[in-house]
Amino acid sequence: MTSVEISHISKSFGPVKAVDDVSFEVESGEIFGLLGPNGAGKTTIIRLMLDIFKPEGGSIAILGGPMSEAKKERIGYMPEERGLYQDIPLERCLVYLASLKGVKPETAKRQVGDYLDRFDLAAHKNKKVKELSKGMQQKAQIIATLLHQPELVIVDEPFSGLDPVNTQMIKDLLRDLNRQGVTIIMSTHQMHQVEELCERILLIDQGRAVLYGELDGIRRQFMGHAVLVRAAEELPQLPGVERVEAHNASQRLTLASGTSAQEVLRSLVTQGVTVEQFEIAVPTLDEIFIRVVQPEGGE
Amino acid sequence: MGKFWRIVVYEYSRNVFRRRFLFGLLSIPLLMVGMGLLFVLLIRNDVDTRPVGYVDRSGLLADPVSPPRPDPPDRPVEFVPYPAEQDAEAALQAEQIQAYFVLGEDYLETSRAELVSLKQPSASAQDQFRALVRATLLASQPVAIQERLKEGNHLTVRSADGSREVNESEWLNLLLPFFAGFAFMIAMFTTSGYLMQAVVEEKENRTMEVLLTSVSSQQLMAGKIVGMVAVGWTQLLVWGALVIAALLIGRNYSESLAALRVSPGFVAISVAAFIPSFVMIAALMVAVGATVTEAQEGQQIASIFTLPVVIPYWFTFQILSNPNGPLAVGLSFFPFTAPVTLPMRAGVTVIPIEQLALNLAVLTLSALGALWIAGRAFRLGMLRFGQRLPWREIFTRPGKRVAQ
Repeated sequence: MTSVEISHISKSFGPVKAVDDVSFEVESGEIFGLLGPNGAGKTTIIRLMLDIFKPEGGSIAILGGPMSEAKKERIGYMPEERGLYQDIPLERCLVYLASLKGVKPETAKRQVGDYLDRFDLAAHKNKKVKELSKGMQQKAQIIATLLHQPELVIVDEPFSGLDPVNTQMIKDLLRDLNRQGVTIIMSTHQMHQVEELCERILLIDQGRAVLYGELDGIRRQFMGHAVLVRAAEELPQLPGVERVEAHNASQRLTLASGTSAQEVLRSLVTQGVTVEQFEIAVPTLDEIFIRVVQPEGGE
Repeated sequence: MGKFWRIVVYEYSRNVFRRRFLFGLLSIPLLMVGMGLLFVLLIRNDVDTRPVGYVDRSGLLADPVSPPRPDPPDRPVEFVPYPAEQDAEAALQAEQIQAYFVLGEDYLETSRAELVSLKQPSASAQDQFRALVRATLLASQPVAIQERLKEGNHLTVRSADGSREVNESEWLNLLLPFFAGFAFMIAMFTTSGYLMQAVVEEKENRTMEVLLTSVSSQQLMAGKIVGMVAVGWTQLLVWGALVIAALLIGRNYSESLAALRVSPGFVAISVAAFIPSFVMIAALMVAVGATVTEAQEGQQIASIFTLPVVIPYWFTFQILSNPNGPLAVGLSFFPFTAPVTLPMRAGVTVIPIEQLALNLAVLTLSALGALWIAGRAFRLGMLRFGQRLPWREIFTRPGKRVAQ
């Protein structure tokens, strides 16, 4: 079952094509990564999904159909640029925002209390939002996103401005929500966060989808024909190895066509090399990202 | 409660319970009271309370009758008779008296008296001497005739259709439209200023984006406008209640206040003109707020809408002297000047009903037009962080590309 179905959407701002013929689906109950460099069009896609902008072409189905006012109550959205009323007390701000999501004020007040306790903000509930630190405001924004217990959560750069402790707390929270069956779309340019949390991704660049699918499958697709070897001594000449490059504390061996990793391992053992590490060279998402986004020979 | 009403209640309570609103609400009446007290104090301190002398050659004041006490803030002046002008002159030079009157032998025939002073005595002292002479002259008359003669002429101007009348003791009625117009302008400027500032702030700090994932842009905009118009009317109602309380107390002390009559027609016309005008200005302020990036820039642009509201005061004399003339009628049809012009005219004339209906229709249509502009500007400008929205885009950009 899909929570979001995007089909061939496009959006321009003047001469700039912000989103160009993008299609993807988000399955119910998954954590989906929306990746791309700054200015790639991630936020525009989110705004199109939320019906803040209208696409010039294509179709968008959210939670089983077009966006509606009623569906807004089933979706939680945390924008990249945080948006909370600055001049009112934190508790009042959160209760009001929850009430606009259809939560009764008395229920909202109770839930706000629970969340403030959980996020260590209870002592600050009567402070004006502008008096809170950036990290506290970030946590408050997450509370505002989740208070109405949405089925679909869209978070845009959820870890920006957070220290490692709070980053871990947010990751745990997203995993908890996912275990409860909440669908999460996470937009970010921090690849390692996506690797930790997401099963499937869409990578966009200059408004166009450049990679889409399961993370493991994408990694395999970019794996290349190489192994990483760390040995106690210098590596000897090995048959079937075309090139040897330093890779952190290891050596990256590019294999000739028709040579398998097992054959290389066997050669190493046969030649009496003390192998400390041997693994198939799987690219990180960062590496894939750079390879995809930067053209061959580009800077 | 629906989301629209939640926005209305939030916007209302957020502003009404703010210190700046309460300060604005109370500062205007306190300022008026303060100015009134200052005026009274200045008069009291300025009035020379030394006695006034008189030399009566006519014999009229041989047995003077005490005149009635003057109305506050005037204080009673003592009158001292002198047998001869030399005596009065000596007292004047010795600064024992502020002035003296000389009534000649033929005073009863000529009604002419001479006033001698080193500097102009107060108007109150002269009035009190006239009252003394009048009371003495009428002493032999029956009380009813005395009272009637003291009252003088009663001039009442009545409209041809008999629906309105004004007499000279009701001069305060002429001032009422001015005060009503001022109160309306202050309430409108302050609350619509808050509204524009709120729109700019919410747009620039991205609160707008969060709100739009909960409510529609129409709900948000309409809720804000209705909430702020309610704030403005709270201001007007509180001021109105304070004025009524002041009048009820003041009428015990002042004939002019006791004579003040507020016609239901005047109130109805004022309310009917103020409501659409308020909505119109508030909507235009939303539009301005959505197109700019800073509140200060918005205030400068908003002056295009707010300055014309004051224009009728520049032509007060022309409007009052010819309330159904082309200028007054023209200003009644222009939406920005109508809210002040209509009550001003209603205070001094009877506005033809068909003309009034047309004026109010123009105002209502203008308010609806302003709401349409605000809706377009709001939708197009709300997510343009740090960017200005050109006004021509509001009118030229096709609506289908914008979230409804």
